[in-house]
Amino acid sequence: MTSSEYIDKRSLRFAWYYSLSQLKAKYRYTSLGFIWNFLEPALYLIILSLVFAVINRMNISDYAVFLFSALVPWRYFEKVVNLVMESLVNGEWLLKKLYVSPFAFPINRLIMASFDFLFSIVVAFVLFAFLKENWTIHLIIIPLAIIPWAIFGFGLGLICAVLYTFFRDVKPLVQMILTLTFFTSPILFSRTVFVPDSFQAKIMDFHPITYFAALFQKPVYNAVWPSEIDWAVSICIALISLITGLILINKYKSQFYYYL
Amino acid sequence: MNKKIIFRLDNVNVEFERHSLAQRSLRSALGRKLNRHKSEKIAALKNINLEIREGENIGVIGRNGAGKSTLLRVLTKVIIPCSGKVQVDNSKHIVPLLELGIGFQPDLSGRENCFVAGMLIGYSKKEIEEKMNSIIDFAELRDFIDEPVKNYSSGMYARLAFALATDINPQVLLVDEVFGVGDEFFMKKCMIRMQELMNNGLTTIFISHNLDFLISQSNRLIWFDGGEIKLDGNPFDVAEAYRNSDNNLKLVVSG
Repeated sequence: MTSSEYIDKRSLRFAWYYSLSQLKAKYRYTSLGFIWNFLEPALYLIILSLVFAVINRMNISDYAVFLFSALVPWRYFEKVVNLVMESLVNGEWLLKKLYVSPFAFPINRLIMASFDFLFSIVVAFVLFAFLKENWTIHLIIIPLAIIPWAIFGFGLGLICAVLYTFFRDVKPLVQMILTLTFFTSPILFSRTVFVPDSFQAKIMDFHPITYFAALFQKPVYNAVWPSEIDWAVSICIALISLITGLILINKYKSQFYYYL
Repeated sequence: MNKKIIFRLDNVNVEFERHSLAQRSLRSALGRKLNRHKSEKIAALKNINLEIREGENIGVIGRNGAGKSTLLRVLTKVIIPCSGKVQVDNSKHIVPLLELGIGFQPDLSGRENCFVAGMLIGYSKKEIEEKMNSIIDFAELRDFIDEPVKNYSSGMYARLAFALATDINPQVLLVDEVFGVGDEFFMKKCMIRMQELMNNGLTTIFISHNLDFLISQSNRLIWFDGGEIKLDGNPFDVAEAYRNSDNNLKLVVSG
């Protein structure tokens, strides 16, 4: 198979410029305008860290650094899955009238979510400036560490997009599963709250997000490099979901018109 | 007749499943699978064989629901037919005008929309920038081009969309009855622009209910009826047959 079966230049160009125009239009009629892109994640992060620091009875600045490190990529991942899942159905206005590659809208949504991630990571680092004491070399791994998250989110989003096109029940189901995944993953709490070798600690070993979260928690919070296992597991999961998504879209793309 | 073939359809069939809203859910899908229940199908195009060559100006007529718009969607690859073969010459720049203003975003200004929608019909940023002034002039929107299009009247919207689609030299233009909006003068302007393009060797497929325009401007007329090609040939003869097909429909004229 050649790449032209997946995406053509025109569709890519559209995906990119459509993202830019959406970004421009998003806060166009608000008085704070572009600042909202930073204000929104800032308020969210501050509120969540205050609440959970109280619940967990942890030192607030220490906990906030821990929480943000994996929460920011998780929010990105969740957004990618949700936006990509709905991208085909929401792109109906175009997909039924003019040919664009079935990947044009998913890519557009990935770009949109990535803009959001960039704003959030800037906000997180501004907050770190107040909260974090040990700034180490390990932080430079972050641009690489987000790649498995992005690929996993995009692949999972594509799989869900195909399912959602045919069965609209999929959306609430996926959102529930994502919520469950979030609250069981070591993002809000550290793995160390469990007794080593306990049942809960073992479950964490089988939780896929454990490995993805480690890509951020280790360099940001623990000031160490992510382990080989973290990389291997997360990259494998990401690639498997991406390839499954690509295959599914290509297999069913001729039927989308009739179900959109 | 040795000109290049641009579109070629072989035994193309398009069927739509008739499904109501309730059948979209997981439960009904499972139910259908278990009961081996076949949902009802409606044929939109039946066994269409068609060849369209470079430089032809084709008119398409037919009653509502005859399959005219479905044909254009098949030609532009929006619909992939259930069976049959569609061959399209990809070296030609094909611009579909199935609806005016496809890709327009209400919150964006006229100018911003020209870029997004222009890219959709295959132009680069540079091409659009070069033609921006002539698009604005044709659409007569100089004072409003930086307003969001949601504040446009339907006529302004249509003018901008038509100007954008036809100003940047398409090679093949597919038009689906889109001149219903806009005033008399704008319609005339569109018709003149269409004539110019046709005379310059542009290949066109034009769905319209304006028979007189089709007779005078096209060199081939296709009559669709019930998803099939009823007649295909000389515009005058086809139009005559089409007009005579509704003999039992007569307006009552009093007095």
